[in-house]
Order: sequence, then structure tokens, then C-alpha cells
Amino acid sequence: MPKLTINGKDVEVPPGTNLIEAARLAGFAIPHYCYHPGLSIAGQCRLCMVDIEKTPRPTIACNTLAADGMVVNTETDRVKETRRSIMEFHLINHPLDCPVCDQAGECWLQIYYMRHGLYDPRMTDEKVHKPKAVPLGPHVMLDAERCILCSRCVRFCDEITRTGEIGIFNRGDHSEIGLFPGTDLANRYSGNVVDICPVGALTDRDFRFQVRVWYLDTAKSVCPNCARGCNIDVHVNHRRPHHNEGRRVARLKPRFNAQVNKWWLCDEGRYGFRFVDDPDRLSLPAGKNGGPPAATTWDDTIRSLAETLEGARPDEIGVIASPRMSNEDLFALRRLTERLGVTHVGFRVPPAKPADDDDLLLRADRNPNTQGAELVGVGADAKPILDAARAGRVRVLWVFHHDLFASAWHEVEVRQALERVPTVIWSGTNANRTSELAHWVLPSAAWVEREGTFTNFQGRVQRFRRAIEPLGDARPDWDVIGRVLAALGAEVKATRAEHWFQELASTVSAFAGMTYRTIGDSGQIVAAAQEAATR
Amino acid sequence: MTRATVARTPVTTPIAFSAEQLAEVRRLQSLYPNPRGALLPVLHMAQDTFGYVSLEVEEYVAGLFSLSPAHVHEVVTFYTMYFQQPKGRHVVSVCHNLSCHLAGAGTLVDHLKQRLGIDVGETTEDGRITLLTVECLCACEAAPMMQVDDRYELNLTPEKIDRILEGLQ
Repeated sequence: MPKLTINGKDVEVPPGTNLIEAARLAGFAIPHYCYHPGLSIAGQCRLCMVDIEKTPRPTIACNTLAADGMVVNTETDRVKETRRSIMEFHLINHPLDCPVCDQAGECWLQIYYMRHGLYDPRMTDEKVHKPKAVPLGPHVMLDAERCILCSRCVRFCDEITRTGEIGIFNRGDHSEIGLFPGTDLANRYSGNVVDICPVGALTDRDFRFQVRVWYLDTAKSVCPNCARGCNIDVHVNHRRPHHNEGRRVARLKPRFNAQVNKWWLCDEGRYGFRFVDDPDRLSLPAGKNGGPPAATTWDDTIRSLAETLEGARPDEIGVIASPRMSNEDLFALRRLTERLGVTHVGFRVPPAKPADDDDLLLRADRNPNTQGAELVGVGADAKPILDAARAGRVRVLWVFHHDLFASAWHEVEVRQALERVPTVIWSGTNANRTSELAHWVLPSAAWVEREGTFTNFQGRVQRFRRAIEPLGDARPDWDVIGRVLAALGAEVKATRAEHWFQELASTVSAFAGMTYRTIGDSGQIVAAAQEAATR
Repeated sequence: MTRATVARTPVTTPIAFSAEQLAEVRRLQSLYPNPRGALLPVLHMAQDTFGYVSLEVEEYVAGLFSLSPAHVHEVVTFYTMYFQQPKGRHVVSVCHNLSCHLAGAGTLVDHLKQRLGIDVGETTEDGRITLLTVECLCACEAAPMMQVDDRYELNLTPEKIDRILEGLQ
């Protein structure tokens, strides 16, 4: 492994490490625009200049590999002057429209100008003007004047999605990024170009002008839109709620995880959070359709639910769990079904239209916790439960999250089943056609409103944290199930998701030894998957 | 170089190379470690064959290189000698750089504009001539000069220009 000296500090780095990464390992940040660890080296922005002893002039760090005995200086006067000059070049034609630019506050032109620029502008000519506010596709807006031509977005579309939509057209100070005329930037990962754009050239059409980024708070989370479970940050706007018309989740950003999603996130996941603040969100427990009288409080609801469940024979109860529930929810539910002796338990409901895989991140299984549902043990195929309900053998049916009408099951059969069962309980976040036919509708907290874990398709257990308060009276499923268990006389000690996870870990061997702490920010592989990997 | 911007009814040739041209494309591509290196000569072939490099031609060429059309568009917009609009049968490019300018290129450009009835960057209505101004073509010793298609015309005077124009059909 090469040993080198950076700013007087000795550091040993893996072979093939470039000087930007080597300096990072030594604790020094070298400013850069075009370099991105997930993309090829372009050497375009020239900002990452460093001094290397025995070389005549500053060298770009991104395209220089650390070598044994190298002596690197990142803060010599010459380097500082070079940076300042390069910043001046980058900003020659920049419109300096920060007050109306959505990138302000997370813009590397601003950050580096303050850290490394601070020169007096000498440009007296009129700036070159280019197109502004050009929609490139459904999610991305281009401001060509703000672009510094780092080519990260070009390389992303060439190397990661391999769709090649973006190019740099014309030349000299007229160069600008754009699309082949008449085409759109509409690949499945287009939102990532906004993340990697270091300046305000590419902004997010959904997010722009909602709220200034310095008002955002962040919670570490996991995307619930497919079985991969990409690591994300949930950005929420607590501090300027009047700015975004009641929208509490401002945006989702990918969070680096080398084993899961690297730096990326698909558009389906990135923009898949709108249900959280949708008008069809359920916020109060309610009885309807001639079922038990409408309850106004959870206490009444829980009591009635417990009575209803106790009043039915175990073989007359059906439970359709969901692979959208967390491990904690599913384990609480398993406890409930075990206590009641329910055997009609399943979680698999086939989607109406099978989704597809791709070779980057998206998994055909669009549920976040199918693996977890299998490991926790809440049955399997839910079709036998539907059939039993249609045959009149089910008196109480509790459905979690599924819209059975949006499944591959025959609509007539679903309707027959739901109309035949005297008490249908439905738990979920948003009203749908199934909840319309239920007798009890119980509002669930959305994933950003609560804690929990999902187990992804690799068997990686990953935590998601609470970013916002539950809407209205919505509750996490584990909480509702735990309270029903308590009303049935069971001893329930868990008052947090973490407690349910502790019980899960001490009961199900796949999770043995795991805690929220060991799972950490990047997840932990379940025992079975670990064994399979080492075999 | 000022780009020709006059819209003219495009020639409706189907955009496809002949078998011989396709063989030439393959030969050119084999000359470079990365076949993409042959993009410039192939684009010139395309321009000679189809009259100018339209977006459709860019897409066709992109297909020959398994490139995205955006990357062919990058090349076409970078270089000035690919015409993105229909051009005349003859292209007259007058040098207006320092030596030629001092030797009277400005007057010659005015003369050409008046004789052809078009502005710089335009094409005569009959599609005969496109008039452009360009930077130094490396013939300062014979200033003022211009390039007519592939030919240099040196030591120009208005009379000499008139004679040259008569020869262009």
C-alpha cells in the first residue's frame, strides 16, 4: 500500500487511490467540482490542484494516483492562488442569481468562493447569456447559465444509466449542456443528476422554490418503494411550514451505502413519498359500512377490536399482513395471531401488473420487507384466506395496507370476500377501494412518521427513523397491535419499535444478536444470509 | 465562421449510406483504437452525401457508432465546418481576420453581399451560393483572400470576385 505525506501528515492508502481520496483519508478536503467517486475522471474543472514535491507546477489531484513516497501539499500559496484564479474563471459568465437560485445554501460555487475565492471580480465585459428554466424532463430543470460544465451529469447518463441523453454542445464560452433536440431526460434515475450537480444548473422540479435548504431537517431512512431498500435522507420542513402548502416531506435524497445503493436513488423511490401528505391520508380510526359504531378514540377502538377478535373462533379469523409492514409490526402481529391461535395468516398478494427489475437498483418486488415477512413468519400466500372468506368461513378479516382491488386477484372474488365477511378491519395509511368496504378503518403512521426496520432482498436489516410526527391519530402498526394484545390480557412490555425488535431478535434466530445499535446507519445482514454468503 | 441560417426546403434524400460507403465507415472505424475516432471523417462523408448534417443525419450516424445522438450532436455543434442547415451548392468563405481586413476584406464582403443580395450566413434563393466570413485561413501573404468550396482565391479585387462568381453554377 502506498505511503505518502500530505500536508506533513503520513498516510497509507489502498493502491489505486487518487489524491483527492487520499487527502480525505488524511483529513484534508481538496476542493473539486467534476470529480465524483462514482464516475470516471474528467479532469475538467481544474480546481483540485495540489503541489507535489519534485513536480514543476500544481497538478490535478483527481487524476493523480497516490504513490509511495509522494509528498503532497494542498495549501501552498501557489495552490491557493491557482484555486482563486480557477474560481474566477468558473464565475466569469455565472449569473450570480443566488437570491433566486434554488441551489443557494448547498451550492459549491458559494461554498468554495467563500473558502477559496474571495477575489475582486475583474470581468468588465457583458456576460454570455444562455437558456434559463428549461425543463429537461419530468423531474429536472436546467439553467445553462449557472452550469460550470463539470460534465458530471453527462457522465452519469453515459456510465450509470447508459442512456447518454446529455451532451455538451457548442464550444468556448458558448458551451452548454443540453439534450439532443426533441428528446427528454426521462430515464428511471434522472433525479440523480440534480444531486451530483455541484451548482444550480440542474434543479429538482418537484422541490424547487418550496423552501430554502437551510430550513430543512434531516432524518436517516430507507426507501420503502422496492425490495432493495436504498438508504436515504428524508428532508423535512419543520421550520417554515407555511412555505410549502402543508407538505411536510420536502424531498428524499440518496444516502451513500456501498452495499446497497452507492450514491444513487431511482426516481420512483425519490418521488414516491407523496402519499404521506396526500388528501386521502387516514387520520382517525373509524367504523363504517354498518359495522360497529364509529369510534372516536383509539381506546374505544382497541376495546371493540379485542372483543370482536375474542368473539370469533380462531379458525374464523383471517389476517392478511403486508410486506410493507416493518419487522417490528410483523413480529407484533405474529404474537397476536399466536395468542389467538389464528391459522389463516398470509402476506403475499400478487400485484395486478408485475413490476420489472433493472440492472441498477430497482427490484421487481416493489415491497420493502418481503424478506422480513418471510423471516418473521407471518404465513405466505394470502389467497387461501381470500377463498375461505368467499366461502363464508371467515367472520373477522384484518387486512394490512393492501388494496386487494389493485392486486392480480379477480375483482369479483375480492368483492365477494369482503362483502361476505361480517367484520373487515383495514389498517393502512391512505384510503383505497379496500378500505372503502371495511367496517373498521385504522390509520397507520407512514414510514417517515415512525421508527422501524425493513429487511431488504439481500437479507440486510436496515433502520428507518422518524422524520415527522404521525398525521392526526395515525399510529404505527406495532403500537395498535400491541394495544390489542394488551386488551386481550397479554403482557406487552414494548413501548417503542426498538423493544419489539429486541423481542424479535431473541425469538427469531435469523435476527439473533441484532440490536438497533448493531444495525447502525448502514444495516446488518441476517444470520441466514450471512451463512449463505460464507458458504 | 458565421453559421448559415437560411431555411430552404431540405432535399428529401432517404438518409442511408450505400453499401460502399458503409464499407468505408467500417474501414475508418477500424483505424482507431476507439471506433468513435472515425466520427469526424464519417460526418464529413455524411455532409457530402446528404448536403448538410441534419438532426436526422446525426441520429443515423449515431446508429453507425452505437452512440447516443446527443454525443454526435456535441461533435457537430463543436466544429464549424459541419452545416446544420441546408447550404448552397457553393460555399464562399471570406477571411475577415487581421491581414485580410487591413487589405480591404470589409469592402469585399459588402461587395459580395450586394452582388448576391444576401447577408453573411445566408444562402441565395436559387440555392447557388452560401456566403460566410471566417477567421484566418493561413494565406496572409495573398490577402485579401477567400475560400470557394475547396479552393483558395487569392489577392482579391471586386472585379476578380465578379469573375469567380460567374464561374459558380
